[in-house]
Amino acid sequence: MKRTKQLLGAVSGVALIAMSTTPALAAGTTAGSSITNTVEVDYQVGGFDQTTETATDTFTVDRKIDLTVVETGFIGRTSVSPNQTRAVIAFDVTNLSNDTVDLALTATPAAGNDFTLSNIIIFVDADSDGEYDVGEEVTYLDEVVADGVTEVLVAADIPVTATAGQTADIVLTAQAHEAGGVGSLGTIYDAANTSDDTEANTEDGTVNPANVDTVLADGAGDTDAAEDGAFSDTDGYVVAAADVTVTKQSTIISDPINGTSNPKAIPGAVVEYCIAVANGSGAATATAVTVSDTLPVDLEIDDAFGVFVDGTVDGTGACNADGVDNANSNFTDNALGTPDEVNGTLSDIAAGVTRTLYFRATIN
Amino acid sequence: MNTGRIFGFFAALAALVSTPAMAQREQAVELSGDVMVVKTVTEEGAEPREELVKPDLVVPGDRLVFRTNYRNTSADLVENFVVTNPLHSAVALAPDTPSSQQVSVDGGNTFGTLSELTVTEEDGTSRPAMAYDVTHLRWVLSSLEPGASGQISFYAIVR
Repeated sequence: MKRTKQLLGAVSGVALIAMSTTPALAAGTTAGSSITNTVEVDYQVGGFDQTTETATDTFTVDRKIDLTVVETGFIGRTSVSPNQTRAVIAFDVTNLSNDTVDLALTATPAAGNDFTLSNIIIFVDADSDGEYDVGEEVTYLDEVVADGVTEVLVAADIPVTATAGQTADIVLTAQAHEAGGVGSLGTIYDAANTSDDTEANTEDGTVNPANVDTVLADGAGDTDAAEDGAFSDTDGYVVAAADVTVTKQSTIISDPINGTSNPKAIPGAVVEYCIAVANGSGAATATAVTVSDTLPVDLEIDDAFGVFVDGTVDGTGACNADGVDNANSNFTDNALGTPDEVNGTLSDIAAGVTRTLYFRATIN
Repeated sequence: MNTGRIFGFFAALAALVSTPAMAQREQAVELSGDVMVVKTVTEEGAEPREELVKPDLVVPGDRLVFRTNYRNTSADLVENFVVTNPLHSAVALAPDTPSSQQVSVDGGNTFGTLSELTVTEEDGTSRPAMAYDVTHLRWVLSSLEPGASGQISFYAIVR
């Protein structure tokens, strides 16, 4: 028994071609695609095959505006130092619409920041060096295709007055606009430029199912509402300044009468000075730490002992005798009547580390 | 005479392929179809309810219902009534489709319930077919009395 089939297409050839090229995207069927449903029916009358008939429906897929902005790169606040310039944070901006759009970008300091960020720059890192270069700044992302993801970086300057532990955040907002052609930001997609149920298919002034309406379907970001054509996310900075404290203590080593046994601070006594430089836990590493001390005029530097640097302290904070005598060079032994000077540079001091400088002097 | 023989040849050929000219004259079955968007309406103090609206606003993720009405407009009994509905690539069959629905996941070559079908991946492995794999739906009625009518429908999601 032979069955017959026939398709009756009630759509134009153009529409059929458009259907077959519709790509399957996560963002969905491309806006403006027409979807046609056809039905084939085979049946028999009196044992004879009959023609298949087809029922057809066509409608147009409308434009769904959806997007996200998500912090990327280092997740959480990025560690910065006071006075740091062009500190960079990163976001991924994704077009989840089923059409190409332009995405206008704004970066604003969040409410409640501990310090004021300056020179906020939005840029796309064209040369992938992770830093802002002149010419990389953008105000909008041009012609972002459906499912397109763009990494957007924001740079800002940290004030020198910022202290360890203080934070400041930036909200990056992307607002969908019509794809205005290459190099041109199109009209904003907002309530005035979209459709609701009462004005469907009227985009060109006529009511035509083939018209492509625009529906806002985005969620609410950190500072924007749902279905407003925009999305926002927050990233920020935390200051990890060096938290350096300096303590100085003295110990009498010997005197001319008692020797080293219970010595007294009498003329001729030798006194050891211990200067300890500590960096707080969680702080940034302190670099180029210079310790300078001008001795009282009645103290004479013990140039035979020298000046030791980069030693450690014991449990009571007293200097251990484990410093380095840097070629006996870290002091200036002036003539009597002019104070002697001690001047030493310590190695880098990481968080939670204490380094010392110690020397001896004689009481005149 | 030559002309007559050619005519005869074409007539026989046409009869072999199909009989479209005859069938067009006597359409025993009348079909009409539509598609609606299924909207969930939530009103204060009431259970959310579904409402069918015209597909004026359709965006990816929307739920659609495709409906086909059929009627035997002839005085004859229609037998072996088979409705085949290819799914447009831009829509996916709704996951909550009744499990007894006859479907195809291979372009209409083989039909069965979704649980009976498998899909072969590009790497040669086989996995159970999912609703989004469906390419065709089919309904079979053994007979349709003169004047009898009915409706078939299915739900799909815009990809």
